[in-house]
Amino acid sequence: MDLTITALLIATLFVILGSGVWIGLSLAGVAWIGMELFTSRPVGDSMAVTIWGSASSWTLTALPLFIWMGEILFRTKLSEDMFKGLAPWLDKLPGRLLHTNIIGCTIFAAVSGSSAATCATIGKMTLPELKRRGYPDSIAIGTLAGAGTLGLLIPPSIIMIVYGVTANVSIAQLFIAGVFPGLLLASLFMAYTIVWALIHPEQIPPADQNMSFLEKLNASRNLIPVVSLIAAVLGSIYTGLATATEAAGLGVVGAMVIAAIQGELSWKNFRDSLLGATRLYCMIALILAGAAFLTLAMGYIGLPRHLAEWIGSLNLSPFALILALMAFFIILGCFLDGISIVVLTMGILLPTVEKAGLDLIWFGIFVVLVVEMAQVTPPVGFNLFVLQGMTKKEITWLARHSMPMFFLMVAAVMLIYFFPGIITWLPQQMAG
Amino acid sequence: MRTLLDRLFAATGYLAGLFLIGTLLAVLASIFGRIIPAIDLPGADAYAGYCTAAAAFLALAPTLRRGEHIRVTLLLNHLPKAAHHALDIFCHVVALFMSGALAWFSIRLVMQSREFVDISTGLDATPLWIPQLGMAIGTSLFTLAFLMDLVLLLAGKQLREASPEGEPARIE
Repeated sequence: MDLTITALLIATLFVILGSGVWIGLSLAGVAWIGMELFTSRPVGDSMAVTIWGSASSWTLTALPLFIWMGEILFRTKLSEDMFKGLAPWLDKLPGRLLHTNIIGCTIFAAVSGSSAATCATIGKMTLPELKRRGYPDSIAIGTLAGAGTLGLLIPPSIIMIVYGVTANVSIAQLFIAGVFPGLLLASLFMAYTIVWALIHPEQIPPADQNMSFLEKLNASRNLIPVVSLIAAVLGSIYTGLATATEAAGLGVVGAMVIAAIQGELSWKNFRDSLLGATRLYCMIALILAGAAFLTLAMGYIGLPRHLAEWIGSLNLSPFALILALMAFFIILGCFLDGISIVVLTMGILLPTVEKAGLDLIWFGIFVVLVVEMAQVTPPVGFNLFVLQGMTKKEITWLARHSMPMFFLMVAAVMLIYFFPGIITWLPQQMAG
Repeated sequence: MRTLLDRLFAATGYLAGLFLIGTLLAVLASIFGRIIPAIDLPGADAYAGYCTAAAAFLALAPTLRRGEHIRVTLLLNHLPKAAHHALDIFCHVVALFMSGALAWFSIRLVMQSREFVDISTGLDATPLWIPQLGMAIGTSLFTLAFLMDLVLLLAGKQLREASPEGEPARIE
């Protein structure tokens, strides 16, 4: 009986989303129906309290600030500078400037704890530049969607903190454990881009110019502002001087300083960056609000819990369990955001995971990787939402061109399963 | 009437921007408060959270007016004109209902927080109804914006200029 209603709810979600109702409101609407059916609690009051709580949390303040930082940098000559600095080195690599997407996201991920913020910030810089130079939208946006998810895997990472608290694992160790898998995934993305470029050489615009080594080195001076900003933001986190949110605040100030030095901090640029950031954040916040309420309703309905219990009851081998969990998280990731997935399922899954003899640090990185996949799977994939807001492309178009990145993440899961040292080696060095 | 409302929404957009600046200032205050205890602002992180929430909720209506809230338009864009119009009206009715419910219960939340003297558990000890006002006002204006769009739709008017296909949003 409950199962039928649950299935009907999922069908309702698809119908409402598909008809074109704004996504955040669709999620809230289905949550409303679900709560009316499954609980006797006052639905409207629960909705207001839940949405208020999630919208006013301290961790969330990092998101609008990092978006603002990106909007400021977007309006400076910094994006141009970054390309001037990176282009001479990447022009020889098949795929050329497409790699700026991946390298850019990898670098920014070391400053940002959120996949959506990484995607938004780097995309603001790279997408218009790549388009201007004639790179195909499909591969430019596809690689960005994939590489943006590195924001979750490369520390700092909000979702790792959520996992660490839920599973009672050292957050510092989780952060360190994420470094090599993050670099591994970035290398996979770059390798894919190289292969793609070798197969489709006609779609890659020609190299800008031929430079000598010294000229290239000279062009790299353009990278100094980016690198020093990143060093300031990263440094303040890694030395423990600032939290992610505070580092984001320093980042906004740093970005303004760079804009001022370049003479680009006009009133118009300041106003446009501020209002642009506010609206982009607002768009994401509406979805987060709907998702927070849906998460509450799902908790009452018990759908994620029932699924988790069922997988736990199958007595699978560790490898089969990992495959099954991956499938489970991918399906759940189609409907829920990563943090909600982690919060809703970890309590139920941990005993199963421990019984299977899996290391909890390792499992945390595995979960983060699978949640990264959820970022690029429709209908609820946050990187897709961010990219849709930026490019006005269809979610389905975006999802299709992010597909290769999805499969590379599956490959990364296989690699960390068969070579767990990728995850566990670095934290062990730290402990010793 | 339309220009008057549009001016109101534009003004709340600016107000939302001010609250984002407020977020930044609160965050900076928490950093410098630690370095120089004399200027420490207790509960700065809570203020940052309130400002972030106010920025998000107040920006709801202006963001909608600019067509920047996300929806799945796959079906909508492939329908013939009459069906598109009908489905769009359906979407606006659903959205009006949900935003209206959110506004109604946000106002209720403010009144309840006031009545039961709900105080923040953080160091700031703020009476919660004050920051919650931003949510109540923002969601109410959001409802008003949907109502305005629905009326325009029913009158057969164009809601806003369609943005050129494939243009990255907000390169102004």
